[in-house]
Amino acid sequence: MKAPTALIADDEDAMRDMLRTRLAECWPGLAIVAEAANGLEAVALAGRHQPDVVFLDIRMPGLSGIEAARMLFNRCHIVFVTAYDQYAIEAFEQGALDYLLKPVGGERLKTTCARLESRIGQRPTDIAAQLSRLLDGHAGTAGGGSRTGRDYLHWIQAQVGSSLRMISTREILFFQADEKYTRVQTAQGEVLIRKTLKELADELDPDEFWRIHRSTLVRVDAIAEVTRDLRGRQMVRVKHCAEQLEVSRGNTHLFQQM
Amino acid sequence: MKTATTGARGALGFVRELGETASSLWWQFFDWLAQVPMRQLVITWVLALLLTATPAIHPEQAVAFIFISLGLKVLAGGKRKAEIEARRASQQAGTEELERRLVEAQMAALQAQVEPHFLFNTLALIGQLIETDPPQAAQIHQHLIDYLRSTLPQMRSRGNGTLARQITLSRSYLAIMQARMKTRLAVSIDVPPELESATFPPMMLQILIENAIKHGLEPKIEGGRIDIRAASAGTMLQVDVQDDGVGFSRYAGDGIGLANVRERLKLVYGTRAGLQIETPAEGGCRATIRVPFAPDIFAEHAR
Repeated sequence: MKAPTALIADDEDAMRDMLRTRLAECWPGLAIVAEAANGLEAVALAGRHQPDVVFLDIRMPGLSGIEAARMLFNRCHIVFVTAYDQYAIEAFEQGALDYLLKPVGGERLKTTCARLESRIGQRPTDIAAQLSRLLDGHAGTAGGGSRTGRDYLHWIQAQVGSSLRMISTREILFFQADEKYTRVQTAQGEVLIRKTLKELADELDPDEFWRIHRSTLVRVDAIAEVTRDLRGRQMVRVKHCAEQLEVSRGNTHLFQQM
Repeated sequence: MKTATTGARGALGFVRELGETASSLWWQFFDWLAQVPMRQLVITWVLALLLTATPAIHPEQAVAFIFISLGLKVLAGGKRKAEIEARRASQQAGTEELERRLVEAQMAALQAQVEPHFLFNTLALIGQLIETDPPQAAQIHQHLIDYLRSTLPQMRSRGNGTLARQITLSRSYLAIMQARMKTRLAVSIDVPPELESATFPPMMLQILIENAIKHGLEPKIEGGRIDIRAASAGTMLQVDVQDDGVGFSRYAGDGIGLANVRERLKLVYGTRAGLQIETPAEGGCRATIRVPFAPDIFAEHAR
Protein backbone atom coordinates (compact mmCIF):
# COMPACT_ATOMS: atom_id res chain seq x y z
CA MET A 1 0.00 0.00 0.00
CA LYS A 2 1.36 3.43 -0.91
CA ALA A 3 2.12 6.00 1.79
CA PRO A 4 -0.89 8.13 2.75
CA THR A 5 -0.87 11.63 1.22
CA ALA A 6 -2.30 14.98 2.34
CA LEU A 7 -2.92 18.49 1.12
CA ILE A 8 -2.87 21.56 3.37
CA ALA A 9 -4.89 24.66 2.47
CA ASP A 10 -4.60 27.89 4.46
CA ASP A 11 -4.18 31.48 3.30
CA GLU A 12 -1.52 32.20 5.95
CA ASP A 13 1.93 30.66 5.38
CA ALA A 14 2.68 30.55 9.11
CA MET A 15 -0.41 28.41 9.69
CA ARG A 16 0.61 25.98 6.92
CA ASP A 17 4.09 25.77 8.46
CA MET A 18 2.56 25.03 11.84
CA LEU A 19 0.32 22.25 10.58
CA ARG A 20 3.10 20.71 8.47
CA THR A 21 5.49 20.66 11.45
CA ARG A 22 2.91 19.19 13.82
CA LEU A 23 1.80 16.54 11.35
CA ALA A 24 5.42 15.49 10.84
CA GLU A 25 5.65 14.90 14.61
CA CYS A 26 2.34 13.11 15.04
CA TRP A 27 2.23 11.12 11.83
CA PRO A 28 5.66 10.79 10.22
CA GLY A 29 4.28 8.44 7.55
CA LEU A 30 1.97 11.07 6.06
CA ALA A 31 3.35 12.78 2.95
CA ILE A 32 2.28 16.39 2.35
CA VAL A 33 2.01 16.44 -1.44
CA ALA A 34 0.78 19.99 -1.94
CA GLU A 35 -0.06 23.25 -0.15
CA ALA A 36 -2.69 25.74 -1.27
CA ALA A 37 -3.11 29.41 -0.30
CA ASN A 38 -6.80 29.73 -1.22
CA GLY A 39 -9.90 27.66 -1.81
CA LEU A 40 -9.68 27.55 -5.61
CA GLU A 41 -6.07 26.43 -5.49
CA ALA A 42 -7.00 23.76 -2.96
CA VAL A 43 -9.62 22.27 -5.28
CA ALA A 44 -7.27 22.40 -8.29
CA LEU A 45 -4.33 20.83 -6.41
CA ALA A 46 -6.53 18.17 -4.86
CA GLY A 47 -7.69 17.25 -8.37
CA ARG A 48 -4.12 16.95 -9.60
CA HIS A 49 -2.59 15.11 -6.61
CA GLN A 50 -5.57 13.03 -5.43
CA PRO A 51 -4.53 13.17 -1.73
CA ASP A 52 -6.14 10.87 0.85
CA VAL A 53 -6.69 13.74 3.29
CA VAL A 54 -7.29 17.47 2.81
CA PHE A 55 -6.80 19.90 5.68
CA LEU A 56 -8.93 22.95 4.93
CA ASP A 57 -8.90 26.35 6.65
CA ILE A 58 -12.43 27.70 6.73
CA ARG A 59 -11.92 31.41 6.04
CA MET A 60 -10.01 31.56 2.79
CA PRO A 61 -10.23 33.83 -0.25
CA GLY A 62 -11.49 32.43 -3.52
CA LEU A 63 -13.59 29.64 -2.04
CA SER A 64 -14.21 29.19 1.66
CA GLY A 65 -13.05 25.91 3.18
CA ILE A 66 -16.62 24.70 3.38
CA GLU A 67 -17.33 25.48 -0.27
CA ALA A 68 -14.11 23.71 -1.24
CA ALA A 69 -15.11 20.69 0.87
CA ARG A 70 -18.40 20.50 -0.98
CA MET A 71 -16.45 19.96 -4.20
CA LEU A 72 -14.05 17.42 -2.69
CA PHE A 73 -15.89 15.44 -0.07
CA ASN A 74 -16.45 12.21 -1.94
CA ARG A 75 -12.88 12.06 -3.18
CA CYS A 76 -10.93 12.47 0.06
CA HIS A 77 -11.26 12.73 3.82
CA ILE A 78 -11.77 16.30 4.97
CA VAL A 79 -10.48 17.88 8.15
CA PHE A 80 -11.37 21.49 8.84
CA VAL A 81 -8.87 23.73 10.58
CA THR A 82 -10.22 26.90 12.13
CA ALA A 83 -9.21 29.51 14.66
CA TYR A 84 -12.64 30.15 16.07
CA ASP A 85 -16.05 29.44 14.75
CA GLN A 86 -18.64 28.45 17.25
CA TYR A 87 -21.30 27.59 14.66
CA ALA A 88 -19.11 25.35 12.59
CA ILE A 89 -17.71 23.57 15.62
CA GLU A 90 -21.18 22.87 16.92
CA ALA A 91 -22.10 21.35 13.58
CA PHE A 92 -18.93 19.26 13.37
CA GLU A 93 -19.49 17.86 16.82
CA GLN A 94 -22.80 16.42 15.73
CA GLY A 95 -21.45 14.82 12.61
CA ALA A 96 -18.77 12.74 11.04
CA LEU A 97 -16.54 15.62 10.00
CA ASP A 98 -13.35 16.17 11.88
CA TYR A 99 -12.06 19.58 12.84
CA LEU A 100 -8.96 21.07 14.43
CA LEU A 101 -8.61 24.31 16.31
CA LYS A 102 -5.65 26.62 15.76
CA PRO A 103 -3.09 26.57 17.19
CA VAL A 104 -3.03 22.95 16.11
CA GLY A 105 -1.14 20.48 18.25
CA GLY A 106 -1.03 18.07 21.16
CA GLU A 107 -3.45 15.27 21.95
CA ARG A 108 -6.22 16.59 19.74
CA LEU A 109 -4.09 16.24 16.60
CA LYS A 110 -2.99 12.73 17.65
CA THR A 111 -6.64 11.66 17.96
CA THR A 112 -7.37 13.08 14.52
CA CYS A 113 -4.37 11.33 13.00
CA ALA A 114 -5.32 7.99 14.57
CA ARG A 115 -8.88 8.34 13.28
CA LEU A 116 -7.68 9.22 9.78
CA GLU A 117 -5.15 6.36 9.72
CA SER A 118 -7.87 3.84 10.48
CA ARG A 119 -10.13 5.25 7.77
CA ILE A 120 -7.70 5.71 4.91
CA GLY A 121 -8.53 3.24 2.19
CA GLN A 122 -12.23 3.35 3.10
CA ARG A 123 -14.68 5.49 1.22
CA PRO A 124 -14.98 8.96 2.76
CA THR A 125 -18.23 9.36 4.69
CA ASP A 126 -21.01 11.08 2.83
CA ILE A 127 -21.17 14.50 4.37
CA ALA A 128 -23.12 16.37 1.71
CA ALA A 129 -26.07 17.07 3.98
CA GLN A 130 -23.86 18.42 6.77
CA LEU A 131 -21.95 20.58 4.35
CA SER A 132 -25.04 22.19 2.97
CA ARG A 133 -26.25 22.82 6.49
CA LEU A 134 -22.90 24.44 7.28
CA LEU A 135 -23.00 26.50 4.12
CA ASP A 136 -26.43 27.85 5.00
CA GLY A 137 -25.25 28.83 8.44
CA HIS A 138 -22.16 30.30 6.90
CA ALA A 139 -23.62 32.45 4.17
CA GLY A 140 -23.22 35.53 6.32
CA THR A 141 -19.54 35.13 7.11
CA ALA A 142 -18.45 33.65 3.79
CA GLY A 143 -19.54 36.88 2.10
CA GLY A 144 -22.68 37.07 -0.03
CA GLY A 145 -24.93 34.10 -0.55
CA SER A 146 -28.57 34.13 0.27
CA ARG A 147 -30.06 33.72 3.67
CA THR A 148 -33.54 32.43 4.28
CA GLY A 149 -36.11 34.36 2.31
CA ARG A 150 -35.21 36.96 -0.23
CA ASP A 151 -32.53 39.61 -0.07
CA TYR A 152 -33.68 43.19 -0.08
CA LEU A 153 -31.77 46.16 -1.36
CA HIS A 154 -29.77 47.71 1.49
CA TRP A 155 -27.65 50.20 -0.44
CA ILE A 156 -28.61 52.72 -3.10
CA GLN A 157 -25.94 53.62 -5.63
CA ALA A 158 -25.76 57.19 -6.89
CA GLN A 159 -23.26 58.51 -9.41
CA VAL A 160 -21.29 61.40 -7.89
CA GLY A 161 -18.47 62.52 -10.16
CA SER A 162 -16.46 59.48 -11.17
CA SER A 163 -17.44 57.51 -8.06
CA LEU A 164 -20.54 55.64 -7.12
CA ARG A 165 -21.72 56.76 -3.72
CA MET A 166 -23.26 54.01 -1.61
CA ILE A 167 -26.13 55.29 0.50
CA SER A 168 -27.39 52.97 3.21
CA THR A 169 -31.18 52.64 3.15
CA ARG A 170 -31.09 53.45 6.88
CA GLU A 171 -29.93 56.97 6.02
CA ILE A 172 -32.69 57.59 3.50
CA LEU A 173 -35.77 59.56 4.54
CA PHE A 174 -37.80 59.12 1.36
CA PHE A 175 -37.71 58.57 -2.39
CA GLN A 176 -39.68 60.76 -4.72
CA ALA A 177 -40.29 60.26 -8.43
CA ASP A 178 -39.11 63.30 -10.37
CA GLU A 179 -39.69 63.09 -14.15
CA LYS A 180 -36.95 60.82 -15.48
CA TYR A 181 -35.13 60.49 -12.16
CA THR A 182 -35.85 59.49 -8.61
CA ARG A 183 -34.89 61.89 -5.85
CA VAL A 184 -33.25 60.29 -2.81
CA GLN A 185 -33.59 62.47 0.28
CA THR A 186 -31.31 62.03 3.31
CA ALA A 187 -30.84 64.25 6.36
CA GLN A 188 -27.69 65.63 4.69
CA GLY A 189 -29.20 66.44 1.30
CA GLU A 190 -30.55 64.91 -1.86
CA VAL A 191 -29.20 63.00 -4.86
CA LEU A 192 -30.81 61.86 -8.08
CA ILE A 193 -30.72 58.26 -9.29
CA ARG A 194 -31.98 56.64 -12.47
CA LYS A 195 -33.73 53.71 -10.85
CA THR A 196 -37.49 54.14 -11.07
CA LEU A 197 -39.73 54.21 -8.06
CA LYS A 198 -41.37 50.99 -9.21
CA GLU A 199 -38.05 49.14 -9.38
CA LEU A 200 -37.16 50.46 -5.93
CA ALA A 201 -40.51 49.44 -4.49
CA ASP A 202 -39.92 45.90 -5.80
CA GLU A 203 -36.40 45.58 -4.43
CA LEU A 204 -36.70 47.32 -1.06
CA ASP A 205 -37.96 45.67 2.10
CA PRO A 206 -41.71 46.48 2.19
CA ASP A 207 -41.54 46.69 5.98
CA GLU A 208 -38.79 49.29 5.79
CA PHE A 209 -40.30 51.54 3.10
CA TRP A 210 -43.97 52.29 2.56
CA ARG A 211 -45.47 53.58 -0.62
CA ILE A 212 -47.70 56.43 0.51
CA HIS A 213 -48.24 57.96 -2.92
CA ARG A 214 -47.78 57.08 -6.58
CA SER A 215 -44.58 59.10 -6.53
CA THR A 216 -43.39 58.67 -2.92
CA LEU A 217 -41.73 55.89 -0.92
CA VAL A 218 -41.05 56.83 2.69
CA ARG A 219 -38.93 55.03 5.27
CA VAL A 220 -41.23 54.06 8.11
CA ASP A 221 -38.64 54.77 10.83
CA ALA A 222 -38.16 58.31 9.53
CA ILE A 223 -41.80 59.34 9.88
CA ALA A 224 -42.17 61.96 12.60
CA GLU A 225 -45.94 62.50 12.44
CA VAL A 226 -48.98 62.34 10.22
CA THR A 227 -51.35 65.27 10.18
CA ARG A 228 -54.30 66.47 8.13
CA ASP A 229 -54.13 69.70 6.20
CA LEU A 230 -57.01 72.15 5.67
CA ARG A 231 -58.26 70.20 2.66
CA GLY A 232 -58.40 67.00 4.70
CA ARG A 233 -55.42 65.33 3.01
CA GLN A 234 -53.12 63.25 5.17
CA MET A 235 -49.63 64.73 5.26
CA VAL A 236 -46.51 62.92 6.49
CA ARG A 237 -43.82 64.95 8.21
CA VAL A 238 -40.38 63.33 8.11
CA LYS A 239 -37.63 63.76 10.72
CA HIS A 240 -34.81 66.20 9.85
CA CYS A 241 -36.73 67.56 6.88
CA ALA A 242 -39.09 70.48 6.45
CA GLU A 243 -40.91 68.97 3.49
CA GLN A 244 -44.41 67.52 3.95
CA LEU A 245 -45.35 64.45 1.93
CA GLU A 246 -48.85 63.85 0.74
CA VAL A 247 -50.53 60.50 1.35
CA SER A 248 -52.71 59.57 -1.59
CA ARG A 249 -56.31 58.65 -0.93
CA GLY A 250 -55.71 54.97 -1.72
CA ASN A 251 -52.99 54.65 0.91
CA THR A 252 -54.61 56.36 3.89
CA HIS A 253 -55.28 52.91 5.40
CA LEU A 254 -51.56 52.81 6.28
CA PHE A 255 -52.12 55.43 8.95
CA GLN A 256 -55.53 54.50 10.25
CA GLN A 257 -56.01 55.10 13.96
CA MET A 258 -55.09 52.08 16.02
CA MET B 1 -33.05 104.74 -8.43
CA LYS B 2 -31.02 101.83 -7.19
CA THR B 3 -30.31 103.54 -3.86
CA ALA B 4 -34.01 104.26 -3.45
CA THR B 5 -34.88 100.56 -3.75
CA THR B 6 -32.14 99.62 -1.30
CA GLY B 7 -33.42 102.30 1.05
CA ALA B 8 -36.98 101.02 0.83
CA ARG B 9 -35.80 97.46 1.41
CA GLY B 10 -33.77 98.65 4.41
CA ALA B 11 -36.79 100.40 5.90
CA LEU B 12 -38.93 97.31 5.34
CA GLY B 13 -36.33 95.15 7.06
CA PHE B 14 -36.24 97.58 9.99
CA VAL B 15 -40.01 97.45 10.42
CA ARG B 16 -39.98 93.66 10.25
CA GLU B 17 -37.24 93.48 12.86
CA LEU B 18 -39.17 95.87 15.09
CA GLY B 19 -42.23 93.65 14.80
CA GLU B 20 -40.25 90.55 15.66
CA THR B 21 -38.65 92.21 18.69
CA ALA B 22 -42.03 93.40 19.91
CA SER B 23 -43.58 89.97 19.54
CA SER B 24 -40.69 88.25 21.31
CA LEU B 25 -40.90 90.79 24.17
CA TRP B 26 -44.63 90.18 24.42
CA TRP B 27 -44.14 86.42 24.64
CA GLN B 28 -41.42 86.88 27.25
CA PHE B 29 -43.81 88.99 29.30
CA PHE B 30 -46.57 86.41 28.83
CA ASP B 31 -44.29 83.54 29.90
CA TRP B 32 -43.18 85.49 32.95
CA LEU B 33 -46.77 86.24 33.84
CA ALA B 34 -47.77 82.61 33.48
CA GLN B 35 -45.04 81.38 35.78
CA VAL B 36 -44.79 84.11 38.38
CA PRO B 37 -46.32 83.18 41.78
CA MET B 38 -49.43 85.18 42.76
CA ARG B 39 -47.65 86.73 45.74
CA GLN B 40 -44.89 88.23 43.58
CA LEU B 41 -47.48 89.53 41.16
CA VAL B 42 -49.28 91.32 44.00
CA ILE B 43 -45.97 92.84 45.12
CA THR B 44 -45.41 94.05 41.55
CA TRP B 45 -48.85 95.68 41.60
CA VAL B 46 -48.07 97.46 44.88
CA LEU B 47 -44.78 98.69 43.36
CA ALA B 48 -46.64 99.90 40.27
CA LEU B 49 -49.09 101.77 42.50
CA LEU B 50 -46.22 103.31 44.45
CA LEU B 51 -44.66 104.45 41.16
CA THR B 52 -47.83 106.42 40.40
CA ALA B 53 -46.63 108.83 43.08
CA THR B 54 -43.76 109.73 40.74
CA PRO B 55 -44.42 111.63 37.51
CA ALA B 56 -43.10 108.68 35.39
CA ILE B 57 -46.30 106.66 35.55
CA HIS B 58 -49.91 107.79 35.49
CA PRO B 59 -52.39 106.09 37.82
CA GLU B 60 -54.45 104.98 34.76
CA GLN B 61 -51.45 103.09 33.37
CA ALA B 62 -50.84 101.29 36.65
CA VAL B 63 -54.50 100.31 36.94
CA ALA B 64 -54.55 99.12 33.33
CA PHE B 65 -51.43 97.05 33.94
CA ILE B 66 -52.98 95.48 37.04
CA PHE B 67 -56.19 94.61 35.20
CA ILE B 68 -54.51 93.23 32.10
CA SER B 69 -52.01 91.13 34.03
CA LEU B 70 -54.65 89.80 36.41
CA GLY B 71 -56.93 88.94 33.48
CA LEU B 72 -54.21 87.17 31.54
CA LYS B 73 -52.98 85.31 34.59
CA VAL B 74 -56.46 84.04 35.41
CA LEU B 75 -57.59 83.25 31.87
CA ALA B 76 -54.51 81.87 30.09
CA GLY B 77 -51.77 81.64 32.68
CA GLY B 78 -52.47 78.09 33.83
CA LYS B 79 -52.48 76.62 30.34
CA ARG B 80 -49.37 78.50 29.31
CA LYS B 81 -47.55 77.43 32.46
CA ALA B 82 -48.37 73.79 31.82
CA GLU B 83 -47.16 74.15 28.24
CA ILE B 84 -43.85 75.66 29.31
CA GLU B 85 -43.29 72.95 31.91
CA ALA B 86 -44.14 70.20 29.45
CA ARG B 87 -41.73 71.59 26.88
CA ARG B 88 -38.96 71.86 29.45
CA ALA B 89 -39.56 68.31 30.65
CA SER B 90 -39.51 66.89 27.14
CA GLN B 91 -36.32 68.79 26.33
CA GLN B 92 -34.68 67.34 29.38
CA ALA B 93 -35.97 63.87 28.56
CA GLY B 94 -34.62 64.35 25.03
CA THR B 95 -31.16 65.24 26.31
CA GLU B 96 -31.15 62.31 28.70
CA GLU B 97 -32.32 59.99 25.93
CA LEU B 98 -29.53 61.22 23.64
CA GLU B 99 -26.92 60.73 26.34
CA ARG B 100 -28.17 57.24 27.09
CA ARG B 101 -28.13 56.28 23.40
CA LEU B 102 -24.60 57.63 23.00
CA VAL B 103 -23.29 55.63 25.94
CA GLU B 104 -25.01 52.51 24.61
CA ALA B 105 -23.61 53.02 21.12
CA GLN B 106 -20.11 53.52 22.50
CA MET B 107 -20.32 50.37 24.58
CA ALA B 108 -21.59 48.43 21.57
CA ALA B 109 -18.70 49.69 19.44
CA LEU B 110 -16.19 48.58 22.03
CA GLN B 111 -17.75 45.22 22.65
CA ALA B 112 -18.15 44.42 18.98
CA GLN B 113 -14.54 45.22 18.41
CA VAL B 114 -12.26 42.43 19.47
CA GLU B 115 -13.30 39.70 17.14
CA PRO B 116 -12.57 36.24 18.58
CA HIS B 117 -11.48 35.04 15.15
CA PHE B 118 -8.83 37.76 14.98
CA LEU B 119 -7.66 37.10 18.51
CA PHE B 120 -7.25 33.32 18.11
CA ASN B 121 -5.61 33.60 14.71
CA THR B 122 -3.10 36.09 16.09
CA LEU B 123 -2.36 33.90 19.10
CA ALA B 124 -1.85 30.91 16.80
CA LEU B 125 0.52 32.99 14.69
CA ILE B 126 2.53 34.02 17.76
CA GLY B 127 2.70 30.38 18.84
CA GLN B 128 4.10 29.38 15.48
CA LEU B 129 6.56 32.29 15.32
CA ILE B 130 7.95 31.49 18.77
CA GLU B 131 9.40 28.37 17.15
CA THR B 132 10.43 29.74 13.78
CA ASP B 133 11.15 33.44 14.34
CA PRO B 134 11.23 34.49 18.03
CA PRO B 135 12.04 38.20 17.42
CA GLN B 136 9.03 38.56 15.14
CA ALA B 137 6.91 36.67 17.66
CA ALA B 138 7.88 39.23 20.31
CA GLN B 139 6.97 42.06 17.94
CA ILE B 140 3.54 40.68 17.08
CA HIS B 141 2.99 39.96 20.75
CA GLN B 142 3.68 43.63 21.57
CA HIS B 143 1.34 44.82 18.78
CA LEU B 144 -1.40 42.58 20.13
CA ILE B 145 -0.93 44.01 23.62
CA ASP B 146 -1.12 47.59 22.27
CA TYR B 147 -4.21 46.76 20.28
CA LEU B 148 -6.00 45.11 23.20
CA ARG B 149 -5.01 47.86 25.62
CA SER B 150 -6.73 50.52 23.58
CA THR B 151 -9.65 48.35 22.58
CA LEU B 152 -10.84 46.52 25.67
CA PRO B 153 -13.31 48.73 27.54
CA GLN B 154 -11.97 47.98 31.02
CA MET B 155 -8.51 49.15 30.05
CA ARG B 156 -9.57 52.24 28.19
CA SER B 157 -8.14 55.42 29.55
CA ARG B 158 -8.97 59.02 28.83
CA GLY B 159 -7.17 60.78 26.02
CA ASN B 160 -8.15 58.23 23.37
CA GLY B 161 -10.02 60.88 21.48
CA THR B 162 -7.32 62.28 19.21
CA LEU B 163 -6.67 61.28 15.64
CA ALA B 164 -3.07 60.38 16.49
CA ARG B 165 -4.25 57.98 19.20
CA GLN B 166 -6.68 56.32 16.79
CA ILE B 167 -3.99 55.97 14.14
CA THR B 168 -1.61 54.36 16.65
CA LEU B 169 -4.22 51.80 17.61
CA SER B 170 -4.86 50.98 13.97
CA ARG B 171 -1.15 50.72 13.21
CA SER B 172 -0.86 47.87 15.72
CA TYR B 173 -3.80 46.12 14.13
CA LEU B 174 -2.44 46.63 10.61
CA ALA B 175 1.00 45.36 11.63
CA ILE B 176 -0.58 42.14 12.88
CA MET B 177 -2.65 41.76 9.70
CA GLN B 178 0.46 42.34 7.58
CA ALA B 179 2.30 39.62 9.47
CA ARG B 180 -0.61 37.28 8.71
CA MET B 181 -1.38 38.25 5.12
CA LYS B 182 2.26 38.94 4.17
CA THR B 183 2.49 40.35 0.62
CA ARG B 184 -1.29 40.24 0.22
CA LEU B 185 -1.64 43.42 2.28
CA ALA B 186 0.00 46.78 1.52
CA VAL B 187 -0.69 49.74 3.81
CA SER B 188 -0.13 53.48 3.52
CA ILE B 189 -1.03 56.05 6.16
CA ASP B 190 -0.93 59.75 5.34
CA VAL B 191 -1.81 62.06 8.24
CA PRO B 192 -0.36 65.60 8.25
CA PRO B 193 1.32 66.37 11.64
CA GLU B 194 -0.94 69.38 12.28
CA LEU B 195 -4.00 67.09 12.29
CA GLU B 196 -2.63 64.62 14.81
CA SER B 197 -3.99 66.53 17.80
CA ALA B 198 -7.44 66.89 16.22
CA THR B 199 -10.35 65.44 18.16
CA PHE B 200 -11.64 62.25 16.59
CA PRO B 201 -14.21 59.83 18.06
CA PRO B 202 -12.77 56.49 19.25
CA MET B 203 -13.01 53.21 17.32
CA MET B 204 -14.45 54.70 14.12
CA LEU B 205 -11.29 54.59 12.03
CA GLN B 206 -10.65 51.08 13.34
CA ILE B 207 -14.13 49.89 12.29
CA LEU B 208 -13.58 51.23 8.75
CA ILE B 209 -10.15 49.59 8.52
CA GLU B 210 -11.41 46.23 9.77
CA ASN B 211 -14.28 46.39 7.26
CA ALA B 212 -11.88 47.16 4.42
CA ILE B 213 -9.71 44.16 5.30
CA LYS B 214 -12.46 41.71 6.19
CA HIS B 215 -14.87 42.45 3.35
CA GLY B 216 -12.56 43.98 0.74
CA LEU B 217 -9.09 42.45 0.89
CA GLU B 218 -9.26 39.12 2.74
CA PRO B 219 -11.74 37.63 0.23
CA LYS B 220 -9.53 38.73 -2.69
CA ILE B 221 -7.04 36.02 -3.70
CA GLU B 222 -4.20 38.34 -4.66
CA GLY B 223 -4.94 40.74 -1.76
CA GLY B 224 -4.48 44.47 -2.24
CA ARG B 225 -3.74 47.75 -0.56
CA ILE B 226 -5.39 50.00 2.00
CA ASP B 227 -4.79 53.75 2.06
CA ILE B 228 -5.62 55.86 5.09
CA ARG B 229 -5.61 59.62 4.56
CA ALA B 230 -6.55 62.59 6.69
CA ALA B 231 -7.07 66.12 5.41
CA SER B 232 -8.69 69.30 6.65
CA ALA B 233 -10.91 71.53 4.59
CA GLY B 234 -11.80 74.70 6.46
CA THR B 235 -13.67 73.69 9.57
CA MET B 236 -14.03 70.03 8.60
CA LEU B 237 -11.67 67.11 9.18
CA GLN B 238 -11.93 64.35 6.64
CA VAL B 239 -10.54 60.84 7.11
CA ASP B 240 -10.60 58.39 4.18
CA VAL B 241 -10.10 54.64 4.25
CA GLN B 242 -9.75 53.30 0.72
CA ASP B 243 -9.09 49.75 -0.43
CA ASP B 244 -8.84 48.11 -3.84
CA GLY B 245 -10.61 44.95 -2.73
CA VAL B 246 -13.60 43.05 -4.07
CA GLY B 247 -15.98 45.99 -3.70
CA PHE B 248 -19.38 46.24 -2.22
CA SER B 249 -22.67 44.39 -2.54
CA ARG B 250 -25.83 46.43 -2.70
CA TYR B 251 -27.66 43.64 -0.93
CA ALA B 252 -25.20 43.29 1.95
CA GLY B 253 -26.66 44.44 5.24
CA ASP B 254 -25.40 47.71 6.67
CA GLY B 255 -23.56 45.70 9.31
CA ILE B 256 -23.24 46.54 12.97
CA GLY B 257 -20.01 48.44 12.43
CA LEU B 258 -21.13 51.05 9.91
CA ALA B 259 -24.53 51.52 11.54
CA ASN B 260 -22.77 52.11 14.84
CA VAL B 261 -20.40 54.69 13.36
CA ARG B 262 -23.32 56.50 11.77
CA GLU B 263 -25.38 56.47 14.96
CA ARG B 264 -22.53 57.81 17.09
CA LEU B 265 -21.71 60.57 14.59
CA LYS B 266 -25.34 61.62 14.64
CA LEU B 267 -25.54 61.63 18.44
CA VAL B 268 -22.32 63.61 18.92
CA TYR B 269 -22.41 66.02 15.98
CA GLY B 270 -25.97 65.96 14.62
CA THR B 271 -25.98 66.61 10.88
CA ARG B 272 -22.60 68.38 10.97
CA ALA B 273 -20.73 65.08 10.62
CA GLY B 274 -21.22 62.18 8.27
CA LEU B 275 -20.09 58.81 6.99
CA GLN B 276 -19.98 58.31 3.26
CA ILE B 277 -19.29 55.12 1.32
CA GLU B 278 -18.25 55.22 -2.32
CA THR B 279 -17.11 52.68 -4.87
CA PRO B 280 -14.60 54.48 -7.11
CA ALA B 281 -14.53 53.77 -10.85
CA GLU B 282 -11.19 51.92 -10.46
CA GLY B 283 -12.79 49.42 -8.06
CA GLY B 284 -12.62 48.72 -4.35
CA CYS B 285 -14.32 50.83 -1.77
CA ARG B 286 -13.77 54.20 -0.08
CA ALA B 287 -15.25 55.13 3.28
CA THR B 288 -15.05 58.74 4.43
CA ILE B 289 -15.77 60.23 7.84
CA ARG B 290 -16.17 63.99 8.14
CA VAL B 291 -16.29 65.67 11.52
CA PRO B 292 -16.14 69.34 12.57
CA PHE B 293 -12.58 70.43 13.15
CA ALA B 294 -11.14 73.25 15.22
CA PRO B 295 -7.49 73.84 14.26
CA ASP B 296 -5.27 73.61 17.32
CA ILE B 297 -3.79 77.12 17.49
CA PHE B 298 -1.37 76.13 20.26
CA ALA B 299 0.12 73.21 18.37
CA GLU B 300 2.92 75.31 16.85
CA HIS B 301 3.99 76.70 20.24
CA ALA B 302 3.82 73.40 22.01
CA ARG B 303 6.33 71.85 19.68
